[in-house]
Amino acid sequence: MSSSSSSLSISGLLRRPEAGAFLGLLGVLIFFVIFGSMEFLKPSGAASWLNVAASLGIIALPIGLLMIAGELDISIGAMIPAGSMTVAILSGHYGLPIWVGILGALSFGVIIGLINGYLVIRTAVPSLIVTLGTLFAVQGIVLGLSVIITGTTSVALTAAPWAKFIFGQFVGGTFQVIIFWWLAITAVYIFVVHFTRYGNWIFAMGGDKISARNAGIPTEKLTITLFVLSSTSAAFVGMCQAILFNSAQVSAGMTFIFNSIISVVVGGVLLTGGFGSIVGIFFGTLTFAVVNQGIYFTTFDRNWSSLIIGIMLLLAVLMNNTFRRMALSYAPKKK
Amino acid sequence: MEKPPILEMRDVCKSFGLIDVLHNISLRVHSGEVLCLLGDNGAGKSTLIKTLAGVFNPTSGTVLMDGTPVTFSSPRDASNRGISTVHQFGGTFPLMSIGRSFFVGVEPTRKWGPFTIYDRKKANEIAVNAVQEFGITRIDDGDRLIGGLSGGERQSLAIARAVYFGARVLILDEPTAALGVKEAAHVLRIVLQARQKGIAVIFITHNVVHALTVGDHFAVLIRGAKAADFRKGEKTREEITDLMAGGEHMAELEAEIQHLKAPNASATVTTH
Amino acid sequence: MSNLIQGLSRLALSLTLAFSASSVLAANIAVVGGKTDDAFWNKIKKGIDDARLIVEANGGKVNYLQLQSYDNLGPDAAQLVRTAMSQKVQGIVVPNWVPEAEDEAIKAAVAAGIKVIMINAGTIEKANELGAINYVGSDEYLAGKAGGEYFAAKGQKNVLCVNTVPGAANLEARCKGVIEGITGKGGKGKQLPLPATSFGDPTAVAEAIKATLVGDKTIDGLITISAGDADSAAIGIGQANASETVKLGTFDFNEANLDRIKNGKQLFAIDQQPYLQSLLGVLMLNAYIDFGNKLPTAPVLTGPGIVDASNIDATLAGVKKGAR
Repeated sequence: MSSSSSSLSISGLLRRPEAGAFLGLLGVLIFFVIFGSMEFLKPSGAASWLNVAASLGIIALPIGLLMIAGELDISIGAMIPAGSMTVAILSGHYGLPIWVGILGALSFGVIIGLINGYLVIRTAVPSLIVTLGTLFAVQGIVLGLSVIITGTTSVALTAAPWAKFIFGQFVGGTFQVIIFWWLAITAVYIFVVHFTRYGNWIFAMGGDKISARNAGIPTEKLTITLFVLSSTSAAFVGMCQAILFNSAQVSAGMTFIFNSIISVVVGGVLLTGGFGSIVGIFFGTLTFAVVNQGIYFTTFDRNWSSLIIGIMLLLAVLMNNTFRRMALSYAPKKK
Repeated sequence: MEKPPILEMRDVCKSFGLIDVLHNISLRVHSGEVLCLLGDNGAGKSTLIKTLAGVFNPTSGTVLMDGTPVTFSSPRDASNRGISTVHQFGGTFPLMSIGRSFFVGVEPTRKWGPFTIYDRKKANEIAVNAVQEFGITRIDDGDRLIGGLSGGERQSLAIARAVYFGARVLILDEPTAALGVKEAAHVLRIVLQARQKGIAVIFITHNVVHALTVGDHFAVLIRGAKAADFRKGEKTREEITDLMAGGEHMAELEAEIQHLKAPNASATVTTH
Repeated sequence: MSNLIQGLSRLALSLTLAFSASSVLAANIAVVGGKTDDAFWNKIKKGIDDARLIVEANGGKVNYLQLQSYDNLGPDAAQLVRTAMSQKVQGIVVPNWVPEAEDEAIKAAVAAGIKVIMINAGTIEKANELGAINYVGSDEYLAGKAGGEYFAAKGQKNVLCVNTVPGAANLEARCKGVIEGITGKGGKGKQLPLPATSFGDPTAVAEAIKATLVGDKTIDGLITISAGDADSAAIGIGQANASETVKLGTFDFNEANLDRIKNGKQLFAIDQQPYLQSLLGVLMLNAYIDFGNKLPTAPVLTGPGIVDASNIDATLAGVKKGAR
């Protein structure tokens, strides 16, 4: 069949969902090498965007899957401080072993994910609104409990060396170990989403939920699973931050809501669901991180950074749309 | 004795609250036969389809398969029993590839080391073969997105999919409504091919010409009731059109239209 | 709920006191403030509680009227001022958070012969305008200036003020003060405004600081506008291999900041010392009502209080007692 040959050709590659994201990444890298310096690509420079991309990427991946499946989870903004405060309060304030804190943070993520997922499938309320509710609720719980328990909104944490080694060390002195977590997690997602049937189910759900259910796909279980993944991932990132920075604050993480959605969209996922890829989200996250950190390697006035970030991200999204149109309008040449 | 019809409705009524949508509908379709269901917009066609496809249960009356009364618990139950519905726009997953959407929910898998993975090659091959069997040779790459196919190709693919998964009754909901002349002809050819394979086809349309091209048996719905039931050759196109319009004489309407089209009245026509 | 009940019972108590004891020459003082489930207002409350000992020793009373929420800050605070007036107090200590909403109530209290001291939020100009006796609190610009001058005193020449919320007036004032403080002593200073996409992401803040320090090796002092940002900055400085050369300071502090000051990894933290705001506010008002004492110093600045190696142990002890 000709299917195998066409997927290897260049035009075949260009039709993939991640094509736009990849070219966008190349574009911003070239931009910052020209207007900044080669420092940007050397290890210490690369670490400055890889570190940012890694913690964002671990959250952007499940958010991307939710968006492909036609849902959204913005409660991650509260789950990041929830994860870091949980580990800091359990292991920092109470002095319990660090594994108790880690387990506590992740369990908190699982519980909130279950609540989100259950509310979304049991009510007809859109997930944006449901998770907006849990966003505020979790923020309230974290603030209230932190003040009652510790009397402050910021708790110090000194993690055991092994935990520091696994979750919060600088590999080679510059690369946060979370980068390796991100790469490993990305590989697992690629496998599950693109090489098993479960991935197909997620795409079908985002394409048309009712048809997917009629085709025998367990849409409810899948929805809950995806919400558990996103809030647990956010708690995981928060926990790693607390271990790395030796400290946790109640008021952090809100920026991850928008940053992860932007990364996912730059990565080629359709806001309305049904289309996208893991590799695309990976590139989208990298693009976002490069754009966000690249300005520090240039001589531009820092007051303009938000403007530059906005314009470059818009360009990346527009490029994506072009590639998606190409993929849709593609038809093989007539014989 | 005649073999019982594959699918039959006996005195089926359906009402939603106080509103009666279907009144005492009786229909039968045999294998290898095309039943054309004709009706104007709002005649109750879609409620009828949904009742046959297991979305609704009749308020009264019975649905029989092979002569035995059945109650569908869900659309999935109906499709497990071999009743497959293809909607106007064919595939519902425009952004999925041909192979993936063909096998949604029943993906073929293979072993890859210790893992069970989706067998993309097999899915693509089967999907492409299935649709090529119906003579659509332009589809030869299972990685193409459904959204990139023409309307006729999507319909053909959806029919091929239903047949591949063992549909015995194929319900086609306005398959030609949004298509050009040539595309529609392709779809009609596929309907006849499915009929040849011994599948019972329920073909919903309001295009009398298309109905007459493929139909063996015709039923006209008006305001939820069956207004006529006849076999091929028993009525002319004009008679059927009049029936569908609810007894009004289409010829008179057409004459009026002709009159309005006359040069002195052209302004009235262009302002519609 | 328990706060509410506590508040109500206090209200009832002070009402009876107002009617029975107002004729006696002893100060009955009301303090308006935030909810004490907040760490900051707990320190304010500690100041009130400590001041109460002296007020009560002179036969007076102190009543803390706290807000039940911050949703309607200005009008609620104005309402508490009017509540205090209805209790026939002699003195009110109040933050002027939202002048548009509170000014009228404060003016009315002054007109009714009640002595007022403004704490925490406000300016001395405002206090004079409304007829209040004094303003006890901090000034963001002066706090920043003290930070800049502190850097200069420690020998730092080029200070970077990292602002994670550029555009916020109070934070801009902090950075402006730092820059003018260091340049006034012959050094250099500039602000690093971070985009909104970095706020709340410690890694993004740390990496921005790292890249800036790598790009400009002459920077030898760095100050952040919040305690959490200082935690990020500590990592950023370490990543830039600049721990030896770049000294870190911050506005406000948390536990991790104090640990670093104790271990010599952070130079200082600037504190507005909320404990002193309520302590001094209540005591000054009491002395004025009872004995006619009046401080010529106006405003009375409680900040900047600098926490560094010289007073870290006392500060840590203060944290334990809830005063810092």
